[in-house]
Amino acid sequence: MPPLNYFVVESPDAVGREAYERIAGDVLQDLDLIKVIDRLHIYVDPKVPIFVAAGLLRHMPRAIRVSNFANVNIGEKMIVLDIGDETYLAPLLRQLWARYGKENVDQPDRFTVVLPAGVAGEEELEQMVVADPSETLYKDVIYALQYIAPEGFKVRRQYIKDEKFYYVASEDTLPGDIVEAMVRPIFAKMGVTL
Amino acid sequence: MTTLVPVTYKGGVYRHDEIMDLIDDLGGYIVQKHVMAQDVVLQSFVPRDDIDLIREVAKPLAGEVVEAPLVGTEIAVVSPSLEIHHLPHTACDIAEYLRRAGAKTNMVGLARGFGKRIANLNDEERDVINEHDLAVYALGSFEECIRQKFPVLRRGIQVPIVVTGAPDRETLVRAIDPPVEGYVGGVGRIMHRFKRPEELAKLDELVDEVSRTLDARRDALARDPLSVFPPRLMAIIEEQLPEVSMLTHPTPVTAQMEGLRVKLPYDLYADDIRSLAVTADGAVTVGDIADVLPSRMRNYILIRIKPFSETRILV
Repeated sequence: MPPLNYFVVESPDAVGREAYERIAGDVLQDLDLIKVIDRLHIYVDPKVPIFVAAGLLRHMPRAIRVSNFANVNIGEKMIVLDIGDETYLAPLLRQLWARYGKENVDQPDRFTVVLPAGVAGEEELEQMVVADPSETLYKDVIYALQYIAPEGFKVRRQYIKDEKFYYVASEDTLPGDIVEAMVRPIFAKMGVTL
Repeated sequence: MTTLVPVTYKGGVYRHDEIMDLIDDLGGYIVQKHVMAQDVVLQSFVPRDDIDLIREVAKPLAGEVVEAPLVGTEIAVVSPSLEIHHLPHTACDIAEYLRRAGAKTNMVGLARGFGKRIANLNDEERDVINEHDLAVYALGSFEECIRQKFPVLRRGIQVPIVVTGAPDRETLVRAIDPPVEGYVGGVGRIMHRFKRPEELAKLDELVDEVSRTLDARRDALARDPLSVFPPRLMAIIEEQLPEVSMLTHPTPVTAQMEGLRVKLPYDLYADDIRSLAVTADGAVTVGDIADVLPSRMRNYILIRIKPFSETRILV
C-alpha cells in the first residue's frame, strides 16, 4: 500500500492494533480510496468499547460540468454538443430531457447530442452541472470505515464535510460529548482543528 | 483386518473409472468424487498395503495418490456472521483449505455471532453445528472479545472445537476457559486472500490441529468400534436406494466419522433407510445398528451409527 501522508492505528491491544492496520490497508486498497484519503487516524479499544476513525481527504473532486467533457457548438438552426468522454453521457441526457423535453433532444450518434437553436445559451449549457462525484465519494469513505470497524459496533456517528471526516462507533450507546472527548483530540494529533 | 487409510487421488478424467474399480476391488470406498473440467479428485479409503499398487496403476494416467487426513469427516466452519467483515476471506479460505485435506466442510454463518456483548447462538445453529464431527470457529482480532463472547458461542456445542483468532496460541489458550480441543493463533480478521507463505503456514497448522483432534477421536472409536464403518454403510445406501443417485448435491450422501448425512427428505425416506439390509442375508438392517434421525439441516436425514458395545453387531 503506498503510504498516506499520515496513517496511525492506536489500540491498547497490540495484536489488535496490528490486525486493524492491515485491515484498514486492505480495505482502502480494495475500495480504491488510497489516493483519496490524505490522513487517517484510527483508535480502537474493545474494552470501552469504542472505534474512532478520523482523517482528511486529499481533495474533493469538483462538480462535473458539460464543458469538462463536451464542446458546445451553437449553430443557426441547432446547438450541437460534441461529446468527448461518454462517462457522464447518461446523466447529461437525463438532465437535458428534464429541462428541454425529450422531443427536443436528439442523439444522432453516440458522440453527438443535438438541441434546437435558441433553447439555451452557450454559457448556460457549458456551466450546467451534470454530476457531483463527491456525493458518491462521501458514501464510499463512510462505507469503507463501516467495513473497517468491528462488526458488532452498530451504534455509530459519522461526519464528512469540507475534506474532514470522522466515524465513531460502539456496541453501546455513544455518550453525547463523544466528539469533544475523543474525536477533537485525534484531529489535534494530526494538526487539524475540527 | 486390513486398515483403511484416507487418501486423495488426483488425476485426469481419462480412464479414471479404472482407478475407481481398482479401489472397489481392493475393498476400499470412494467417499466423494469431484469432476472439474478434465480433472478428477477422488476422496477415498483404501487398504494401507495397497496404496503402492494404486500408485503403480495410476502412473501411466499421470494420477497421484496422497494421504489426506480429513477424508470421511464433515467439518463446520463457523463464522460470526455473513457480513463482509467476516467473509469471504478467513472463513472461506479456511473451508477451502480443509477441503483440500479431504474434509467435507459446511459454512455456518451465525445470525448474531458478532459483538462481544450481543453475540449469541440460537438453537438451530447449535444443533446444526452439533451434527458435524468438528467445528472450526473463525474468530476475530481482539483477545478481550474472544474472552467475552466465546463462552456464549460454544454454549451447548458437544463436538470438538478448534478456535482461530488473531492473538497468538498462548493467549488463546489463556483466554478460553474451559479449554477447547485446538487453537490456531495469528489468523483473525483478514481482508485479503490467504496467499503469503506465513498465511498458508497458518492454514497448514490448522489442518494439523484439526487432524490431531480428529485422530484422538478415532483412537477413542477404535476402542469401541462402530457397528459398521460409515463409508461401508454409504456404499450400501448408494447401492440399494437408487433415488440417491438422482440428487444433484455434490455429496448426496456425506460420510462423517460416526455416521452419515443422507440428503433425502426425512418424512419420505426414513423408514426405507431403516429397513435397508446391511448384511447379504438381510438379517441386520440399518435400523438395528443406527439411529435414523431428522437433520436440522434442511429436511435431510442424519444417520448416527451405534457402537459395537450397544448393538453387539459388527458388520
